[in-house]
Amino acid sequence: MIHLVTAVVKPFKLEEIKDALRGAGIVGMTVSEVQGYGRQGGKSETFRGGEYQISFVPKVKVEVLVETPDVDKVIDIIATTARTGKIGDGKIWAVDVDRSMRVRTGEVGAEAL
Amino acid sequence: MRQKLRRLREEKDTRRLIAVILGGKMLGIVGVLGAMKIFAWLFESAAWAQGAAPITHAANDFVSPINTVWVLVTAFLVFFMQAGFMGLEAGFARSRETVNVLLECVFDTCLCGLLYWAIGFAFQFGAGNGLIGHQFFFLHGMTAAYGTTKVSFLAFFLFQFAFADTASTVTSGAMVGRTSFKGDILYSIMVSGFIYPIFGHWVWGPGGWLGNSMGWFHGLAGGTVFRDFAGSTVVHTVGGFIALAGAIALGPRIGRVFKRDGGGPLPPHDLTWGAIGGVILWFGWYGFNPGSTLSAMDWQGIGRVAANTTLAACAAGMVAVLFVYPRSKKWDLGISVNGFLGGLVAITCPCYWVSPAGAIAIGAVAGIVVPLGIDMLEHWRIDDPIGAWPVHGLAGIWGTLSLGLFAAGKYGVPTADGVDKSTLVKGLFYGGGTAQLQSQLIGSATCVVVVFGFSLLLMFGIRSIKGTWNLRLQKDGELEGLDIHEHGTPAYHMEFGQGVSYTTLLGSGQSLSSSDVPRKRPLTVGVSSNEEDL
Repeated sequence: MIHLVTAVVKPFKLEEIKDALRGAGIVGMTVSEVQGYGRQGGKSETFRGGEYQISFVPKVKVEVLVETPDVDKVIDIIATTARTGKIGDGKIWAVDVDRSMRVRTGEVGAEAL
Repeated sequence: MRQKLRRLREEKDTRRLIAVILGGKMLGIVGVLGAMKIFAWLFESAAWAQGAAPITHAANDFVSPINTVWVLVTAFLVFFMQAGFMGLEAGFARSRETVNVLLECVFDTCLCGLLYWAIGFAFQFGAGNGLIGHQFFFLHGMTAAYGTTKVSFLAFFLFQFAFADTASTVTSGAMVGRTSFKGDILYSIMVSGFIYPIFGHWVWGPGGWLGNSMGWFHGLAGGTVFRDFAGSTVVHTVGGFIALAGAIALGPRIGRVFKRDGGGPLPPHDLTWGAIGGVILWFGWYGFNPGSTLSAMDWQGIGRVAANTTLAACAAGMVAVLFVYPRSKKWDLGISVNGFLGGLVAITCPCYWVSPAGAIAIGAVAGIVVPLGIDMLEHWRIDDPIGAWPVHGLAGIWGTLSLGLFAAGKYGVPTADGVDKSTLVKGLFYGGGTAQLQSQLIGSATCVVVVFGFSLLLMFGIRSIKGTWNLRLQKDGELEGLDIHEHGTPAYHMEFGQGVSYTTLLGSGQSLSSSDVPRKRPLTVGVSSNEEDL
């Protein structure tokens, strides 16, 4: 069984998360620059002495495909690495993946990871 | 054959046709002859035909070449301010209107050059009366040097064109993001061709009433005249108040909510270019102010002006940042750029007549005037995306008045060969009394009343035109962004994928999107379900 672990985290934490997952033997991840808001509902910035609201805060989305035994470990690693204790640390979630394939070889399932 | 001709002549219709053809031929001949005459006048081909002048020796005259080179070099610097405006205005605006800002600067420059050649220079620097000049239309009848400047006539023209162009570009700053390009063309013609040159004539033109006699206000000026060395009023107050009139006539950009209503500025899209543009303007100011001596022979003068210009900018930039810091607890780049620009605008008028310490004081006050001006606009709910009015309008007024306070009483006026110290300019703080200050007040107030009044009429006039020549773009164009709607291309392409939709936040959870705006033509004909589109 394969799962997709998705984490939305503070951008400056990305390097640490990558190193931690690599160190734990997780090979491969996909990242993208995203924007969003959670309970904080955005944030404020200033320009020429005036304050304005940013509704969508820049974040990095990390996506990792893992086998069932590794799911909790990966979630745990990301959570401990990304945590600063301040508002806006992000979210992590995992969903089941019903199929997968390595494009080059055509391997499917866990072989594709 | 003869009978046939006679019959033709007798037919009424045929006679009329022949008459029309003959009449047309005559008109054509007159037209061609007239055009030849106009071309001969315009290009002065008749004058060229009179034979080449004998060799002229210039080597014994050092003053004219040196002054001309000085004026040309500074004219190039002033021209380069366009690059600064492009960076500053594009950077402080949103990405969706970048192409628009850039093209406005380029197009206005081209327009201004041709208009200034045709009429602007004549209105401003031609001989005439106290209100307007009427000599040198299409640069006709020019002399080797302009007036007594010992500067090549055309170098002088180029320098003054660069100034006119600056005034015209200042205006667009407050109107970014919602002005239709056709509307921009209309008001630019008025600014470059009429408002700036005519007001400029009042101060700098031969016989201009503010710069020579003070006209009706002669009794109030105590023997002084209005002085504006490089254009705090003539260029910047003029540009800033036309900009304010434009911003009022246009109304704010869609989605711009003001502080009183729980909103704030729309964020700038590229502060790298915003700040670099600001510094390019600062660099260009080394042409603007020192070049306004029009004479390199006044070597102490150009050194003093250049140093004063720098010191005022330094003081203003620093004070503006420190003034805003307690409010936001942040070191604000945007305000520092607007701040030093305000200092540059302020020192533009008094730069020749004040001491370095005076320049610092003038700049420091400008560093407070500019953020206060931004707050005033916010309070009045006027949307000025670049800060054109606080920087050029308000700091221009302060700089103009500051001459009446800080003029050191040691400096006269530059001349082609050196300095004329027969009249020393002295301000209140140096024991000169209030006479100069009164002149400065009269000049500045005249500028605000006349230029702002006329600009309001002009801008509201263009705003009331029906159809696409209206000053303000239609709503769908503004939401889509001027770049795509008016110019057909965004400044920054998304390399992958298309079908971007543009959304403007309106606050309180509402938003308007380009996909909300009904399209002019339905995408499909005869298909009732939207799902079949997909």
